[in-house]
Amino acid sequence: MKTSSFFLREFFPKTVLWVFLIALCLYCLFPFAWMLSTSLKTEAEAFRIPPTWIPLKPTLYSYIGIWVRKNFGIYFFNSTVISLATAVLSTFFGALAGYGFSRFFFKGRRFLIGFFLATQMLPGVLLVGPYFKILSRIGLYDTRTGLIIAFLTICLPFSTWMMKGFIDKVPVSMDQSAMVDGCSRMGIFFRIILPVVAPGMVATILFGFLLAWGDLLWALCLTSSEPMITVTLGIARTVGEFRIIWPMLMAGSLVGGMPAIILYIFLQRLLVQGLTAGAVKG
Amino acid sequence: MWVLFVLPGVLLLVLVLGFPAITSLSYSIKAEEAEAVSYTVSHYAGLLKDPFFTRTFWNTAVFVTLSVASHMILGLAVAMVLNTALPAKLLFRLIALLPWVVPDVVAGIIWKWMYDPIYGALNDFLLKIGIINTPVEWLSNPKLALFSVILVNLWRGFPFVMLILLAGLQAIPRNLYEAGAIDGASKWQLFVHITIPGLKKMIVVALALDIVWEVRRFGLIQAMTQGGPGILTEVLSTYTYKQYFQFFRFEYASAIAVVMTVVLLLVSLPYIYMISQEE
Repeated sequence: MKTSSFFLREFFPKTVLWVFLIALCLYCLFPFAWMLSTSLKTEAEAFRIPPTWIPLKPTLYSYIGIWVRKNFGIYFFNSTVISLATAVLSTFFGALAGYGFSRFFFKGRRFLIGFFLATQMLPGVLLVGPYFKILSRIGLYDTRTGLIIAFLTICLPFSTWMMKGFIDKVPVSMDQSAMVDGCSRMGIFFRIILPVVAPGMVATILFGFLLAWGDLLWALCLTSSEPMITVTLGIARTVGEFRIIWPMLMAGSLVGGMPAIILYIFLQRLLVQGLTAGAVKG
Repeated sequence: MWVLFVLPGVLLLVLVLGFPAITSLSYSIKAEEAEAVSYTVSHYAGLLKDPFFTRTFWNTAVFVTLSVASHMILGLAVAMVLNTALPAKLLFRLIALLPWVVPDVVAGIIWKWMYDPIYGALNDFLLKIGIINTPVEWLSNPKLALFSVILVNLWRGFPFVMLILLAGLQAIPRNLYEAGAIDGASKWQLFVHITIPGLKKMIVVALALDIVWEVRRFGLIQAMTQGGPGILTEVLSTYTYKQYFQFFRFEYASAIAVVMTVVLLLVSLPYIYMISQEE
């Protein structure tokens, strides 16, 4: 699809376009290159004046250090378990609700859709205070379970939207023919719809995973002890330390950001639809 | 029948989200240290008298306005460039997406280190090409700190707008441009009368979501400055967090959060209305 291409080519000369593109790539990539470069330096080299752009003697010391000297293994485990559990739970409930919104046109449907959308707009800081108090009272403060419950608030509305979008694409005739064969509604959902939208479910799980993975606010407010904290909180805490060991921090940030980068590359195509609640069919 | 499918999700949402939201609302009108339960608007009145809140509110307004405006401009420019016939278009799109995909904390930390006045790459680069003569204190100069943070947020947030507007551009039929050109419209007229109207819906979506996200932005600022120096980069989300977890003023913090929520719901109302009408 080269819709407006001829227009742009006339609007800007080709050289201007390329200069813009190169500047753009530099702007986007330079900070990452700096992160990579620093992560391969020794601590002494990171504090050289003027800074070296390419490490003089590249070392993997920091990459080993985050696992051996810091508790990165624990953080990684926590983040993975918490994000995955949140994503699977919210995708399941999201698929159920998505099917309901997709196939039934009941009274108050629009209102409920508006409700799901509005919940996506609430700021996290509105909820963290009550969560802190409630979870403390029922003994779930500073636990993975507590954080999983809290993350449902971010993931569930979004999973519902995304799953509804995928289910909308499945023709209603499939439901109908199954019904003629005597299949119940629940049977249709579990035996016909879920298998068909399985790729969509995987995508929804991965997006939910990333939403939870990238969070800092909730982890900061609802966990505190070293064995319970997530990657993002682990990284954020390092910044607060008296003496920041930058190569180590950069290695940690790179490793902590990697799952997100890799998953987004795979999910590129579905990104727009997923994040705009189906407002934009990607 | 629909109840079976929709109800579990709705109940769960009410339980994990509705209930805490109401709790927060009730905190915000609860009298502190009262024997019996009594209600008051004093926390809200206190907001108006709190110079820190006023300053934070102002910071947030500047942060959100400049962030969103710059996201829109750069996002549209990049989308238009990526919508032309280019080699390796997918690669460019991927590169432009990178700042947006990493966690907030990671983005904040990378830039904190980029901005380091002595050991950071940015000053070194600017000194080498001769734009500046002395190192700039990006995050500790009071006049500069908020704008430095906004500059990072431009880097972080424009890819999202770019993605949405690119999807919109690809949906504008090419023959509209051709017909316009035949009728003798100038390039600028084509842009104003075909491109912009064609993108209207996408612009509403991008604007609404971006404003909501920028108002809520937390990890980036927390990782980079924690609101400092002083309260110069403090925004509503970091200020509320501090009121909760550093000063333990739950009632006051809730009042700030409620104000934020009202603003966010008002801003997103056109978006919510638009989507639910389409359904």
